[in-house]
Amino acid sequence: MENLINIALNSVFVGNILLAYFLGMCSFLAVSKNMQTAAGLGVAVIFVLAITTPVNWLIYSFLLAPGALAWVGLPDLNLSYLKLVLFIATIAAIVQAVEMVIDRYSPALYTALGVFLPLITVNCAILGASLFMVERNYTFSETIVYGIGSGSGWALAIISMAAIQKKLRYADVPEGLQGFAINMITTGLMAIGFMLFAGISL
Amino acid sequence: MSDRLKTLVFAVVMCIVCSILLTTASRGLQRFQEKNILMDMRRNILKSVNLVKEGVPYSYGEIEKLFTDNIQPIWVDPSGRQVEENRRSEQDFRLYLYTQNGSATAYIVPINSRGLWGKIHGYLAIESDGSTVSGFTVYKHSETPGLGGEIEKQWFQNNWVGKKIVDQAGQFVSIGIAKGAVTDKIPPAKQMNYVDGISGATLTGKYLSAGIRQILQQYEPVSISFRSRPKADSTSRSKAANPD
Amino acid sequence: MNGTTAKPLTALRRTQTYRDIARALWEANPVSKQILGICSSLAVTVQLQTAIVMSIALTMVVALSSMAISMLRQWIPRNIRIIAEVAVIATLVIIADEILKAFLYDISKQLSVFVGLIITNCIVLGRAEGYALSNPPVRSFMDGIANGIGYSSILIGVAFLRELLGSGKLLGYPVIPEALYKAGYVNNGLMVLAPGAFIVIGLFVWLEHTLLKKSR
Repeated sequence: MENLINIALNSVFVGNILLAYFLGMCSFLAVSKNMQTAAGLGVAVIFVLAITTPVNWLIYSFLLAPGALAWVGLPDLNLSYLKLVLFIATIAAIVQAVEMVIDRYSPALYTALGVFLPLITVNCAILGASLFMVERNYTFSETIVYGIGSGSGWALAIISMAAIQKKLRYADVPEGLQGFAINMITTGLMAIGFMLFAGISL
Repeated sequence: MSDRLKTLVFAVVMCIVCSILLTTASRGLQRFQEKNILMDMRRNILKSVNLVKEGVPYSYGEIEKLFTDNIQPIWVDPSGRQVEENRRSEQDFRLYLYTQNGSATAYIVPINSRGLWGKIHGYLAIESDGSTVSGFTVYKHSETPGLGGEIEKQWFQNNWVGKKIVDQAGQFVSIGIAKGAVTDKIPPAKQMNYVDGISGATLTGKYLSAGIRQILQQYEPVSISFRSRPKADSTSRSKAANPD
Repeated sequence: MNGTTAKPLTALRRTQTYRDIARALWEANPVSKQILGICSSLAVTVQLQTAIVMSIALTMVVALSSMAISMLRQWIPRNIRIIAEVAVIATLVIIADEILKAFLYDISKQLSVFVGLIITNCIVLGRAEGYALSNPPVRSFMDGIANGIGYSSILIGVAFLRELLGSGKLLGYPVIPEALYKAGYVNNGLMVLAPGAFIVIGLFVWLEHTLLKKSR
């Protein structure tokens, strides 16, 4: 249990998938201008990560990992080199499916999240979380916690960024620094802030 | 041909071509990759007893030769006795002996500990007195770069050399990673059982300490058998192993 | 310069390939102008060596995938073109990853998952979709190389600064003289950590904006 709490805390703060591993920058920079859209995308990322990471864990553990196919009598097979293709296909398929399900059953949620879902397929944080999950040998329960934690960390980062940008409009930023450059530096300062959580120990 | 059929045919052909390419690449390169992994493992074993230096490139031939000349992989049972390769059972574990002139000057324990993010793999070499660390290496981990990731750095690993896994009374205590510098945090009597911690990576240190403790506990029968050897003999040999 | 060498040069300048390359390199340098491709690339800039290998891998993947997609462009059905593009790119990325694991094992260990993440790199898909689908193979190949070099220049620039300031080394060799350390110089630990990369990129773009404005 302590282990799971640690993974959760670390994936949100110190090992934030955006601020420590630079994943998901594209959509982070493109969508952080407005608080509402930032929050919407953040929630969508949590949602998709919470589903895709565990599903990819199942695919990896029962189909791809060395010896994973022992249950069909092929213990020597190692298909792990196919993980990239299969992961990205799974992510695309799940995002599509989620979009259709939401559209069918919750029009309100669809209007809120719908536009963000296609953006998410190309968000490197989603694929990155699945790859890290393999790299770090997580168990199934750890994977679930890690998926939700990384998503929350990403959402936290983009929402804070939107809030900072709102304040930044009243700041007098030098001309050449405006836009992309100041966003990067702000992100850097945010990353420093998040690293301060490194001292926390349970 | 209808459009739908054309799409389907294209998709199928594409899948087949891609999978053939991938399988060929993966099968063709597997031999090299496995050799790399084996050599990396051996280089780390050699590094833990200071037979190869960090940052110096070694050819695979050199590593192969150093390894077969100096290192003897054996299996030991839970009571610390050596077992033959073909007669080993499930609970037996791996041990590497660093032998010079036919006698062991150090033994190397594979470390497989939990870290903050994932497993930490490495080797801990202990001199033939059964208590002094002669080296520590990490060859695979997934800790955060710059924080826990520092465990793979030379400054951290150098701290381990000369530390003891027993206290002043000769009782097993393992080696702990301090929260900060050993000289500040640990009373002088216990300093020989602790190494400097990494700032910002308390948890990595905590897990690694616990993991090493558990593994050394498992290997304690081996350590005891080394400790109970004639003393003069072992010191002269360990001196020979570390001329500097 | 005399007329004989100048003539082929101007002739070269007129070719479509040259103009496209120049555009990719100067006017629309991927990172700062298009904000694309910055994902996943910064994590490997702690050391120059990993950044260079990553750059080569990415350049090869962009160039070869653009060429392959350009060759297939008459056959790819419109409605599944994105999937087809991703499949080509993924295949190339996996092959690149396997090659690195086989021949540059130490570096591939450090690059870990980031080679795989080239798949989601916006530059690669962007060039396939935006250029290769409507241009012939050789030109698509050159376009891929040019975009790869544009990306590499930023990545290697960031890595150069981070390794120099963060660890006092370049390509693993110490370059800051010992005397400077004795005089009280200390490596900047921030550069090794993630925030350093963000700040360096920010300053890079600032510099570029300022220079571009002056040249205009």
